[in-house]
Amino acid sequence: MNTLTVAGSLAAPPFQPPDIDYGLLLPMLVVFTAGVLAVLVEAFAPREVRRSFQVGLSLLAVGAAFGLTLVQAASPQLPETGGILVAGGTVAVDRPTLFLQAVILLLSFVSLLLIAERRVGDGSFAAEAAAVPGSEEERQGILAGREHSEVYPLVLFAVLGMLLFPAANDLLTMFIALEVLSMPLYLLCGLARRRRLLSQEAAVKYFLLGAFSSAFFLFGIAMIYGYAGSVRLSAIADAAAAAGGGEVLLLLGIALIAVGLLFKIGAVPFHNWKPDVYQGAPTPITAFMASVTLVSAFGAMLRVFYVAFGAMAWDWRPMIWVVAILTMVVGAVVAVTQTNVKRLLAYSSVVHAGFILTALAATSAQGLGASLFYLAVYGFSTIGAFAIVTLVRDSQGEAVRLDQWRGLARRSPLLALSFALFLLGFAGIPLTSGFIAKFAVFEAALAAGGTPLVVVGVLSSAVTAFFYARIIVVMFFTGADEPAEEPGSGAAVAESAHAQEAAGGVSVRTRPAPAVTEAAPQVEVVKPGLLSQAVIAIGAAATLVLGVVPQPVLDLATQAAQHLFVR
Amino acid sequence: MLPALIALHVAVAVVLPPLAVRLGPRVFLVAAVPLLATAGWALLQLPGILDGRPATASVPWAPELGLVLDFRLDALALTMVALISGIGSLIFVYAAWYFSASERALGRLAAMMVLFSASMLGVVVTDNLLALYVFWELTTVCSFVLIGHSDHRENSRRAAIQALITTAGFGLLMLIGFLLLGQAAGTYRISELVADPPTGPLVPLAVVLVLAGAFAKSAQVPLHYWLPAAMVAPTPVSAYLHAATMVKGGVYLVARLAPGFADTGPWLPLVLSFGLATMVVGAWRAMRQDDGKLLLAYGTVSQLGFLTVLAGAGTPISGIAVVAMLLAHGFFKSTLFLAVGVIDHQVGTRTMSRLSGVGRRMPVLATAAAVAAGSMAGLPPLLGFVAKEADFEVYLPGHHPALSVAGSSAVLLVLALGSVLTFGYSARLWWGSFTTKAEVAERRYPSAGPAFLAPVVLLAAACLLPGLAPSLVDPLAQAHAATMPHAAAPDYHLALWHGFSLPLLLSVAVTAAGLVLFANRERFYRLQSAAPRWPDAEVAYHLFVHAVYSTALGVTRRLQTGSLPLYLTVILGTLLVVPGGWFVWSLASSGLHVPMSGGDWRLWDTPVQLVLALVVGVSAIAAVREERRFPALLLLGATGFGMCGIFVVHGAPDLALTLILVETLTMIILIFVLRRLPARFASGARRVGWPRRLTAVVCALAGIFVAGVLAASTYARSLPPASVGYWEEAEHAGSANLVNLILADFRAMDTIGEITVLVTAAVAVASLVVANRRTGGENGGDEGNGAAKPVMARNEPVIGREGHETSTGGGHGSG
Repeated sequence: MNTLTVAGSLAAPPFQPPDIDYGLLLPMLVVFTAGVLAVLVEAFAPREVRRSFQVGLSLLAVGAAFGLTLVQAASPQLPETGGILVAGGTVAVDRPTLFLQAVILLLSFVSLLLIAERRVGDGSFAAEAAAVPGSEEERQGILAGREHSEVYPLVLFAVLGMLLFPAANDLLTMFIALEVLSMPLYLLCGLARRRRLLSQEAAVKYFLLGAFSSAFFLFGIAMIYGYAGSVRLSAIADAAAAAGGGEVLLLLGIALIAVGLLFKIGAVPFHNWKPDVYQGAPTPITAFMASVTLVSAFGAMLRVFYVAFGAMAWDWRPMIWVVAILTMVVGAVVAVTQTNVKRLLAYSSVVHAGFILTALAATSAQGLGASLFYLAVYGFSTIGAFAIVTLVRDSQGEAVRLDQWRGLARRSPLLALSFALFLLGFAGIPLTSGFIAKFAVFEAALAAGGTPLVVVGVLSSAVTAFFYARIIVVMFFTGADEPAEEPGSGAAVAESAHAQEAAGGVSVRTRPAPAVTEAAPQVEVVKPGLLSQAVIAIGAAATLVLGVVPQPVLDLATQAAQHLFVR
Repeated sequence: MLPALIALHVAVAVVLPPLAVRLGPRVFLVAAVPLLATAGWALLQLPGILDGRPATASVPWAPELGLVLDFRLDALALTMVALISGIGSLIFVYAAWYFSASERALGRLAAMMVLFSASMLGVVVTDNLLALYVFWELTTVCSFVLIGHSDHRENSRRAAIQALITTAGFGLLMLIGFLLLGQAAGTYRISELVADPPTGPLVPLAVVLVLAGAFAKSAQVPLHYWLPAAMVAPTPVSAYLHAATMVKGGVYLVARLAPGFADTGPWLPLVLSFGLATMVVGAWRAMRQDDGKLLLAYGTVSQLGFLTVLAGAGTPISGIAVVAMLLAHGFFKSTLFLAVGVIDHQVGTRTMSRLSGVGRRMPVLATAAAVAAGSMAGLPPLLGFVAKEADFEVYLPGHHPALSVAGSSAVLLVLALGSVLTFGYSARLWWGSFTTKAEVAERRYPSAGPAFLAPVVLLAAACLLPGLAPSLVDPLAQAHAATMPHAAAPDYHLALWHGFSLPLLLSVAVTAAGLVLFANRERFYRLQSAAPRWPDAEVAYHLFVHAVYSTALGVTRRLQTGSLPLYLTVILGTLLVVPGGWFVWSLASSGLHVPMSGGDWRLWDTPVQLVLALVVGVSAIAAVREERRFPALLLLGATGFGMCGIFVVHGAPDLALTLILVETLTMIILIFVLRRLPARFASGARRVGWPRRLTAVVCALAGIFVAGVLAASTYARSLPPASVGYWEEAEHAGSANLVNLILADFRAMDTIGEITVLVTAAVAVASLVVANRRTGGENGGDEGNGAAKPVMARNEPVIGREGHETSTGGGHGSG
């Protein structure tokens, strides 16, 4: 940003354009260019070729950006112990960031594979997003076999924002990245092909709540600027270290910025959007949000709290402790009653955010490394799990009620086995990646004196393991014809309430989800297309391999975190 | 070699399911191969281990996290390997004849049993606490699958979940204990921990947590309920997991840590109280069982209590006793389980009151079972007797350094009482299962084949041989005893005859009392029926599960309503409580300068401000209360225009103009939207009563908070305002209006950019509106249900649909 601060500087120095090293920004530029190109494709290419063009373009761009990130990480230009500030100091290129960006790009690539899948139930995205659900216009679109291919540029812009978010070295850039990544996501949430009312409701909720939290974030930036006279993270750190009075502003700013960031990662009490949005959004987009957005948001959070507020750790740590404990406890307890697979995965994501927060509170290189590893590991398992959710279908679309998953192992053992593997990974059972990841964050928290956090974490793992085990039992040990014996009807209650409640004063209202009341339609397991197969295979392989031989990736994460973020 | 053997198990487990399709139940013979290999290899290590040189191996897994797989095979581990691989392979052979070819999921069963064997092997040979935990939980998972083998049966699934939750839940406590121990000691290696036990305030807590995990695994009272329930598993599984190996995991852990931690404060009281209670309660309940397998299950509970008492003592003699008792129990309990399994398999029932004449029809089985039951009852010349002699020796007065004479005597007394009951149920089992009863009709059934009986007979022989020649077991026991502290202890060897000593006296007394008990069993059963039932932790388990569910349901109902206003209230509430509370506190404690506290504070500059403020306030409140959409919008607009007035009064007409523009545009856009919505807010769409008041209060407070923070931050200024220099610049530029100057001159390029963005957005909005008019809306269905129809198209005339590709041929819905 232009910093014309105090007068006097107005006239004196001639305008100095910032020296921008485009080479270091190349991964982001590639994604951005591809996004712009994709918009043009949308405008000018004939409808028949659009989709294949878009898929190719996005995969190519994300893949190329990933390659470039690797090159940067290996290049001698990057100092061994620090990083480089680019574009007038607004963007940082350092090892933790490169690790995060590489993970983001890799996960985006996998998500894109899932988004591009059309073999399963003729795609996940609306034929005519602007048409009224249930209208003739929508029917025409479906009959014509359409699907919005605007999804791809939107995803690319979101990826751009996600790449910039953890790399932003000042709060304003970070805010812009936040908006760049959020706006496309709000839109993408509303594009589901089936159960469109639910999807639109999810989009409205996400947008309104997201706008609020962004406002808090911005307000926090103003406070911090008032305190430090700069939005640059390192300048804030210096001002905090010099600590001359007026710390009320700083702490208020930290709290407000934390609200914005905690909202994005879905920590309690800012988690309420997660289940509703995860449930309503098209499942590939849910997978994308649950994995990539989480990585990016945590990356940004880690950077802000390690770099800008690192010296103030004693002041904000109690807050993060409370949030982490609340997140782990509330997420786990509420998850127990869920009978909707997507909502259940959403709560699981809430609990996992709590686990990572325990490592954030450690503010050590060990904690950073553990978080990086956790994020990578969790992302792969999550995408895989959501990919499987897309395959279990009934006539309404995805069959997400847990009792519809009865006896899944009989019908498609391989699928059930993969899902069980992902669940075991989430539960942190040994020999899955989840165990190593959980162990790493708890170890870091312990080393930093967070024993109570670890105790709560372990206990909440027990509760979560319980409900993961329940799903496995449902899939493996019950037949499809057996009567229901699930004790928790809470999610059904919540679900219908969720569907009934209006979004604010605006009457965006939906019918209670029809599947809840009607007789269960025939559930079938769709044969996965090549792309879904690849996604599930990648997820399962990552979960297993990182559980059995975690060392290489763990090394990468630890080395990346060794010298923390560049200041 | 040890990791390779574990890997061999896993490799075999992988190929078993496809093999099972071809081989049927004989697949268990293949499954026994890795177990035999392990047993053979362990036997080769025996000489070195007896000399005190354990076999070791090390595999780095995640060294940065302290996860290194160190393996160590010493005397105690070898004892356990004898159970896991030795007895295990016999049980596998038995299973090859036990299951019918029509048994479902045979491949899964066999594979899981081999995997279990691998994990259990891991538990006993690993030298790292964390790896131990990993293997420990793997055995839990395998046990879960194996208990739930008959997954079409409801009680089978329930038992599986119950066992999983109990053992894994307490296993997590144990993990916390491990972490605390590791943190205190700086290492997770068991051998180092035991050799140099850490001290610190947290170590007793860690010990309690570790013991909790061990007790749950070894089914100690009051956590024993899962073990009898787990008997729904097929008999080979019960014999292997729930008698010979897995349940001994807890005992193993106690025995493993005892040399280092037996002196820690809570250790001995916990081990003794829980162990003794378990021994008596288990035996008491075993006496009541009519189902042979359940009797054995409660008997196992009792014996596990006994073993815990022995393993926890941490003296050299206890080292000898625990090795002898582990082996003895492994042999006799698996023999009996397999024997009951044979009866069940051939006769079709194992309920003792329905069995008659089994001993006459199957004399070999009856003899083998008699040997095992005798060993269980502690009769000479069987291994059980030799072991029990040693067991009494451990708690002879003066033999345990931490116990007084009275304490030792009390422990000894309870051990004797438990042994009497053990004698009673041993006799009851054999008597009930094998004798001919006049009042019960004999059934017709085929007798068992030799291959089916061979493992039972071999195991029975293992009960007898080391009893006749205790020197077979003694060196191993001595090697383990040598690892104990205070090694210069009385020289004790396992033997049938130690002369006329107190233990012998006790054995005789126990046998005599046991005979009396058995002779008067009918009277004893009546006594049992009259006695109140023991309180059971199973109730606590169900209460716990129920409590978790109901809490979760309650929380879910309250928090997860799907209501956007509620979500916002939560977020705003948090904001008010945390930063807001802190803000107020720092104002109150004068950590922050209170705005206008210096006496320069006045209510208004001109009374017009008051009027405007009233307009803003009143219209805001009215907007919240309004039930119709258009008036609500107008009221909302009124607040905006009121703000414009305040700007004007403050002397900023340009700002006011801008705001008027924005307000007008917003209203126009909103009117466009509102045209398509019902005139009133749907009933139920807005919150009423207290929730609505709460919303209003929270929103008001949030507004006050933001305003307050802004006011406070302007007053907290420590640097000169940024606008200072601009004044001079403005004079140079010849303008008196700073805002205009900045917009149009200093930052003109920025302004151009902003205008461009605005225009683009306006064009986009306009094109959307135009496109929508051209395609036209349509009306869908139910007018009556205003709530069911979302945003779009209501009472919208069809204007036109010419040429737009999306609606070609498009009929419209109901008119």
